[in-house]
Formats: sequence, structure tokens, C-alpha cells
Amino acid sequence: MDAFYASVEERERPELEGRPVVVGGNPEGRGVVAAANYAAREYGVRSAMPAARARMLCPHAVFIRSRMTLYVEVSVQIRDIFHRYTPLVEPLSLDEAFLDVGASAELFGSGVDIARSIKDSTRCELGLVASVGVAPNKFLAKLASDLDKPDGLVTVEPERVRSFLDPLPVEKVWGVGAAAAARLHALGVHTIAELRARPRSELARRFGKWGDRLFELARGLDERPVMPDHEAQSISHETTFEVDLREPAALRDSLRGLVEQVAWRLRRQGLLAGTVEIKVRYSDFRTVNRSAALPAASAGTRDLWTCASRLLAQQLARRGDPVRLIGMGASRLTRERSAQADLFEAEMSARQRRIDSMVDAVNERYGRSGLHRGLGRGRQ
Amino acid sequence: MQFTVDRDTLLHPLQAVQGVVERRQTTPILANVLLKCSDESLSVSATDMELHFVATTALSAAEPGSTTVPARKLIDICRSLSPGTDVRLSMEKDRVLLRCGRSRFVLNTLPAEDFPVFDLPTPEASLSLAQGDLKRLIDLTHFAMAQQDVRYYLNGLLLEFAERRLRAVATDGHRLAIADLEVDCSGLPEPRSLIVPRKGVMELSRALGGGDESIEIMLAANQIQINLPGLTFVSKLIEGKFPDYDRVVPLVETCDKHVTVDREALRQSLARASILSNEKYRSIRLNLKENMLRVLANNPDQEEAEDEVEVEYSGDSLEIGFNVAYLMDALSVVPTESARLHLTDADSSCLITPDRGEACQYVVMPMRL
Repeated sequence: MDAFYASVEERERPELEGRPVVVGGNPEGRGVVAAANYAAREYGVRSAMPAARARMLCPHAVFIRSRMTLYVEVSVQIRDIFHRYTPLVEPLSLDEAFLDVGASAELFGSGVDIARSIKDSTRCELGLVASVGVAPNKFLAKLASDLDKPDGLVTVEPERVRSFLDPLPVEKVWGVGAAAAARLHALGVHTIAELRARPRSELARRFGKWGDRLFELARGLDERPVMPDHEAQSISHETTFEVDLREPAALRDSLRGLVEQVAWRLRRQGLLAGTVEIKVRYSDFRTVNRSAALPAASAGTRDLWTCASRLLAQQLARRGDPVRLIGMGASRLTRERSAQADLFEAEMSARQRRIDSMVDAVNERYGRSGLHRGLGRGRQ
Repeated sequence: MQFTVDRDTLLHPLQAVQGVVERRQTTPILANVLLKCSDESLSVSATDMELHFVATTALSAAEPGSTTVPARKLIDICRSLSPGTDVRLSMEKDRVLLRCGRSRFVLNTLPAEDFPVFDLPTPEASLSLAQGDLKRLIDLTHFAMAQQDVRYYLNGLLLEFAERRLRAVATDGHRLAIADLEVDCSGLPEPRSLIVPRKGVMELSRALGGGDESIEIMLAANQIQINLPGLTFVSKLIEGKFPDYDRVVPLVETCDKHVTVDREALRQSLARASILSNEKYRSIRLNLKENMLRVLANNPDQEEAEDEVEVEYSGDSLEIGFNVAYLMDALSVVPTESARLHLTDADSSCLITPDRGEACQYVVMPMRL
């Protein structure tokens, strides 16, 4: 989806049409931009940028606090459209997914036909604009989908892979960020064509194992299969900030969004997590992973949040330096609720389960505007 | 700083503190041990900021001084030297030179001033007991502590100091262990209860000997210090409220099924059956009848195990499921030859006690079949 959160807000509030819209944290505080519509992007507003900076760039933009429950609900509807064409859907985030339509041609036509049909459906049924890339593998499809936003449809036929990749800058290669790009530029490699000209042995020598990967990606080779959630070993989300953050409240805010996304993907697949993990990458690229076992396997937003926020607080107490990325994941996935009874269950989880089922029941009947959990919002 | 010492005399305090050094530290100096040398003694300190160990050993004719060196490397070097040989340690500019026979090692150091100081608490109270008694108390309970549980207050051992009793309690929410020790706590101004973090408990158990040498326990607001012969243990405490465990320990009188069984016979029977239990959930079924307890296990491949143990029991029959590991953990430490199981129904917890005395009790929650 293009500018997903912002598009959903525009759809919900027609008076916003044509105005720059920024969704995310509080611009008065240390909040971070979660999404900006194209009108706001013209002023240089980008996601993951401090909201205060966005306010400076575009003072007349409408600033809206994220409404994750709403986006999750729309995300379910988008996912339902995807599933009309193939069961092989690998969600990348709430508004992005890989679809393997290799076996769908007889029923639904070619990849391009399916792409058009998905774009039509999201526009007509959901009022949302999508960009699609159609290509032989995940790397190329993701690249193609990003090339012509908004409302793009880019196809990379197998025989056109080389001419498609060659003129692109190396930054477009999956995994090449600012640091790697600088190293490649120093070697005189600026375009993918120039990367492809380098022998495998040189790339392996300079970049180790990742050099092999670079060699393959420069040729448009990517063997990773499309992996639906229900076969996953773990489910995780992460976010890189445009400007490194050190405020615990802002980091908590970002973590909350990640937890809601992971919990929702678990529940959708009928999975329960046994272990919760967080990942914190500091500005010096030192990366710390911390994990904790849940008392009982769960997909409850509150359970995952309690655990993840505690891990984050502990890590920030250990090292409070600026953070460039945080991630949150669920692993030790299982389908069955533990048959093991808990000594203190009456005290703790019975009450939570009652709240959960109440929230679910209300939301089922009255839709998204019903109830959602506070999760310590507004607590600093 | 300079001293010469027998290899074993140096290795012993290093090994005593090595468990504290974290494999992956966030601060480089935590990978080091602090060596502090006076005229006649050497102290070796290690810390992970939560737990702090200081081991002390006697020296002769030393030149005082202090520094910190990489713990892992120094221990590996000492261990690799021949037992009984003399080791000479000295400073060479800001590095440590270690010589032993025809071997020579130069190690990098970090300044001793940068090593975190663990201010030993001003004790609010202290008491002494035999080290073997404290070790027994820990051994009877530690296995039931939670590990990396989000309920952080369960990742440790609760110590309750009452007037004439020291009680240890551990639980991971599925099972619970309680052990009591008669001890004079009258030195305390008032009853105290505190939670010692899991890692400290495990290291303490390793450091404690089984004998009756006296050790001293000192309590401060958020720390506990224990002085063992040649070793000082200081640990921060877990701040949090331990659950009200009394509420979940069933009273013997309210259970209507009481089984007396040879502890070791049941443990072995469980061990045999567990081979074919579900590897992930470790579930087994107990089938209780007049004077007979049958242990049943099966796994997802439909393989089955069945084992019978004679017991003393008369009453209604009962079928109940458990995590076999929880039962075996408790039975392994019950200090009498016979154990007693007190049960009610398939949804209620099982209380395991020794057949006489009240030194320990175990509560295990069932698994739904």
C-alpha cells in the first residue's frame, strides 16, 4: 500500500483530502513519524523521522496519532484480498506482502493480470492505492514495487532482469544500507552493473559470506521461497529510525507498534509464542538481542507487550546510548495452549483472558471503533 | 604489584569467582578480574554488576598493588600450568607479566580504579549458620526457580527470615518447593523476606561446602552479603513482590488421597516411562488404585510405556497427568526413603512431602489430560 497509515486516515476523514498528513507520535514530544502522505512527502517528511522535525519541514501538515487497531483491521481486509489468489502469502508488514502466484495462472491469469486485479480490488473495496512489482523472485519483486510509487505496476520479465537492474544504484540491492554503500562507492561501484562486473572471489574476500549474496543479487538471483506465517519458526518486525533515538518513551512507542503487529500475525495464524525477543541496535551498530520466556504460550497483545517492554527497559537501563533500530519477535511457536496448569493462574491470567474475550466480543459486534487496549499509553 | 605464589593457590580463588564473569558483557572491564594484593594477601574480585564475588588467599613477601586482567585468559593460563609450580606475577608498565618455569605471558590490563565498586552494605542485621545447612536449603529448592520468566520475581529464591526459622521458596508457576531450617534469627530486628537472583543462588550453591563451618549472612536494604571461608558473596536483590505462595500449598487435611511410596522406586519408574513421553511437554499419566500406582506415557508417534510401582494406598482410584520432570525433580531431593503424595482430583495440585519431618514440601500442578 502507498503511505498506508496516512491513506487509511485520509479515507476515514475526507476533509483531509489534498492536505499533507503525518501519522505518528506527538510532534511536541519525542514522537516518530510512522507514515506521511505524498503531499507531506513533497516537503521532505519521511517515515521514521522525528515528528518534531516533520513539523518544522511542514508546519501546516495535519498531525495524527497512530491508530494501530484501525490499521490492523484494514490490514486483515487487504490480506483477505491477497488470499483470493494464492495461499502462499508472506506478510512483510501490515501493508506489504509477497505472493507466490506461480500456481495461480490457470485460475486467475498471469502475474500482471493478478497484480491489476489486486490493485483494482484495494482501490474499489478499500479505497486504498497499491503499488505492485511482478518478478521472478522476492528481491526483484520488492525492488519493482518500490520503483514507481504511488500507484505503480512494474513488471520484470525473466529476460529483462539484467537491463532492469543494471542502471540502478547499488543502494537498491537488498541489505545495502548507508555503510555498505559507502564501502562499495570507495571501490568505484555505484551501479548494479558495476557490482555485477566484480568477480565473486573479490566480493567474497572483501565482504565475506555476504559477498556471495551480493554476487547473486547483482544478477537478480534470489532463491528465498515465499514463506507463509503458518510455516514460520518465528515472527518478527523491526524498524530503523531516520535519526537515532535515545528517549525511552519514544522507543517504547515504536516497540508498541511492533508488538501489535507481531501479536496480530500470531493470532491470525492461530499460533502462540513461547518466547519474546527484542533487538536493539545502537548507533555504533552493536546489536543486542534479549529474550524472555512467557509463563505460558500466548498470542495476547498484553502478554507480549508486558514481556517486550520489560526487556526494553532493562536493556536501556544497561546501555542508554542512541538507538538506530529496534525489533521485536516471537519464537518457540506452537498451536496448542499448554495443558500445564498454573499455580497462580487465578491471580494473573484468568482476569486477562476475561478482558481479552470481552474486547474481542465487542469488536466483533461493533467493529474497530469498539475497544482496544491502553498498554500504558501516555505513561512516560 | 608483584607476588610469587604456588599455581594451585592462585587458581583456586580464580575458579571460585569465574562463574560470575559473564560470557557476553556490555562493558569490557566486566570480562576482567580485579587483583588486589597487600603485603600478605591477594584478593580476586569478579562482578556482573548484580553479583559480586571476592576470594581471598594468603601470600608471603608481596609487593602491594592492584590491577585488572582478562578473567578467562588468566584462568586458562593458570589451569594449563603444571600443578605445584611457582607462578610469579608482576607489572610491566601497564601490562601484567606472568612467569612460570620456562613459560612467559604478558596480559593486557584495565585500570583497577575503573572496576565497579560494590559498596559492601552497611548491614542492618546479621546471623550465622553452618554452611552445610544453607547448602542443603538451596539444594532442596533451587530447581523450582523460574528461568528468564517475564514474572521477574520468580527468577530467584525467596528467603524468609522468621524468628526461629529460615525458609527458602522457589516456584516457576507450575511447581513450588519449600524448605525450612531451624535457625536462630533473633539477631534480626524484624522478620525479613527477600529474593536472591537465580544466578547468585546457583553460584552460591557451587561455593558452599557441606560441612558445619560457620558462615555469616548480612542483610542490607537491597543487598545480601554472605561471608564464607575465604570468599565473600554479595548479591543485589530482586525488587518485586513474591506471590502469596501459602495460598497455593494444599493442606494435608484437605487432600483425601494419601499415598506412601518408596521414593527411589517411584523416581526410577518415572524415569523409565519418561523415555516415551512427549519430548516437548513431558507429560505422563498416573493411574492410582488400591496399593498400586501405574505410570503411563505415550508420544506423538504412538509409542507407549507403562510401569507399575507398589504403594501404600487405600481409597478411590484416580487418573491424573503431570510433567514428569517436575515429579522427578522433587523426588530426587526428598530426604527420606519414603515419600508421601497427597492428592485430591485430576484438576488439583499434588503435595509431596517426606514421610516424616517437615524439612521440605513440594507442590506440583497437574497437566490436563
